[in-house]
Amino acid sequence: MKYFSSDPAAEPASVLYSRCTVDLKNGEMRFEDVPCRNLEDVLGGFGRSFQILAERNISHAYCEENPLIVNTGLLTGSSAMTGMRTYFSGYSPIKASKKGLPAAMWSTGSGNFGAKFKWTGLDELIFEGRSPKPVYALIRESAEGPLVELKPADHLLGLTTHEKMMVLQKEYGSDAHFAAIGQAGEQWQNVYMGAVALSTDNQLKSGEDKMRFAGRGGMGSLMGYKNLLALVARSSDKLKPLTPEVRNVNINVVKGGGSTRLQPISRGGGGGTWAAYDVLQVFNAVPVNNFRPQGNDLPEKLFRERVEKQFDIKSQACFRCGITCHNNIHEKKEDGKSGRFLAKFDYEPLNLLGTNIGIHDAGQAARLIHLSDNYGMDSISLGVTISYLLSYNERHPDKPLLNGATFGDFEKIKELIDQTALGTLPEIGRGSKLLSESTGETSYAYHVKGLELPAYQPETNPGYAWAIAGGHMSMATYGLLTREGKSDMESWVRGITVDKLQIVGFDMIGLCKFFDITKGICTQMVVDCLKSEFNLDVTTEALAAAVRRAFLRGLALELRQGYQKDEYTLPAEVWERPNPNIKLPNITTPDFITELQKRVWEIFEPELEGLLPEA
Amino acid sequence: MTLTIQLVGVFRSGRFNDAVREYPAATRVREVVDELGIPGPLLGIVLINGIHAGIEDILNDGDTLCLLPFIDGG
Repeated sequence: MKYFSSDPAAEPASVLYSRCTVDLKNGEMRFEDVPCRNLEDVLGGFGRSFQILAERNISHAYCEENPLIVNTGLLTGSSAMTGMRTYFSGYSPIKASKKGLPAAMWSTGSGNFGAKFKWTGLDELIFEGRSPKPVYALIRESAEGPLVELKPADHLLGLTTHEKMMVLQKEYGSDAHFAAIGQAGEQWQNVYMGAVALSTDNQLKSGEDKMRFAGRGGMGSLMGYKNLLALVARSSDKLKPLTPEVRNVNINVVKGGGSTRLQPISRGGGGGTWAAYDVLQVFNAVPVNNFRPQGNDLPEKLFRERVEKQFDIKSQACFRCGITCHNNIHEKKEDGKSGRFLAKFDYEPLNLLGTNIGIHDAGQAARLIHLSDNYGMDSISLGVTISYLLSYNERHPDKPLLNGATFGDFEKIKELIDQTALGTLPEIGRGSKLLSESTGETSYAYHVKGLELPAYQPETNPGYAWAIAGGHMSMATYGLLTREGKSDMESWVRGITVDKLQIVGFDMIGLCKFFDITKGICTQMVVDCLKSEFNLDVTTEALAAAVRRAFLRGLALELRQGYQKDEYTLPAEVWERPNPNIKLPNITTPDFITELQKRVWEIFEPELEGLLPEA
Repeated sequence: MTLTIQLVGVFRSGRFNDAVREYPAATRVREVVDELGIPGPLLGIVLINGIHAGIEDILNDGDTLCLLPFIDGG
């Protein structure tokens, strides 16, 4: 980034970002310093990429005109804690309107790839077209600025995400970090839920497959379509010396209210997102057997206190991050020492590849998560599509689909995952929307707008309907009923249209949501970081306005891609077969949803004018 | 007055799961939380008799107070 003004909100064109556009078809490249159009461009991430996507009319995700945009946020690679995000954006193969048009989508992950990418001097890399042969891209620093090279990648074909990175690490050594797809992304024709894995320092030092993922929306499948198997970012570390201001912010992130609950239990924290199991179980709101909690204690089998008797749980962190929210599960040897790494237990994959498919054995759940990660699939879309299939088979015992797997049948579920990743089960690989449309039984397919739900019961979160990039991470209403106890219409309208949409600010600026998940990026902490790192004067109000515009642009793009307002809803089973076991007020009645839709659109619709370029 | 205190998740560690305890009349939720040494930033949800409540709410004899940690997605 180049700054010729300290006021990027008023003078965005005085801030330039470094972009390289690569035509994969012929290898041509164009480097340019691009003036920002607005504060969203300055912040980066999807705030910038969605403006680029909005300039294109794309009717099929797998077409040469659909770009894959790899970029960072303003604070990626800075000394601000959690500043490690990389963003992958494009029109999604899996998220599509009923009209059949692909939705614009982004996905993001941490690891150290993003910082290395930024330190090469590049802020954004756009891949156009499709390579005729498998390639990987090397992005590296040079005395003349960032360089990008396309290299043959035949030797990477068929390898897992982790294996690809290990091969590349041998070639590029310790100054490089990697982004890679697995076999699933290579099978893009039949797998729409491919993820992009991002390497971590822990992984590269230990050789253990402890990656991070940009999983949602099939950006790994889009990468596979482009015949682009991996990215290598090679640069010396360029972390600025920590200023007193950023040090104070980082201390606040680690010790303040923002992330305390995500810290390890041994440090007085809550133990990461896994802790959601215990809390949601009080309300019988842990998804079980395709989002049908039964009011029993089955979810407790994957409570941490049960699992730690059998396995060694290591609390670890992304490089330079003091939050330490990872719970890495290792075998426990007979002498009590730690053995082989099995999987990382976050709430979402653990539930959706565990309890929600009838798997209550921690070792089996770990195996499935491990498979999903190494094949390079979004564990949310994979888990929910499988749970739909298992539910269908439970309802049709005389005529089950595929291998006839049922809830809890580990071997058959594992077989489904293997076959899906290798491209032989498009029924699963293309997601729950298409699978349910093929069976004609759509009411219990737990997706919204074509993207599978994360592990929060839809009965607790009608805000899912307005999430623009999947579930809870692009509309933070998932705790509005459960955590805050809000069941009145006013709270929900305000939550969706004012407060909770602000969570997407993290997907612009380069920070992880755990930097301050409840307050978002419109805080003095972020203002202080921008001033200290770049001498930028930005107010919290300007940040909030930019985040809101970016969110609304996402909504406008959905509508342009053919989404009708009746698609902003929840899976019909929620009201067709209300679950009596969930111990929370019922706010997902048809009347409530209808009124909520009316009120939300009354607020959003007038603001959508002028956000997109003329078609 | 007699209260039933239920703790969830990490709050159980070194404390208890459920307990029936005696408190002075008109005790507030905050006083119970402080007495149990539960860190404020970790406290996410307060339920009194199964209904969401606030930290400053006053408890009544026979109430069941349930204290739950914060939940964050990810």
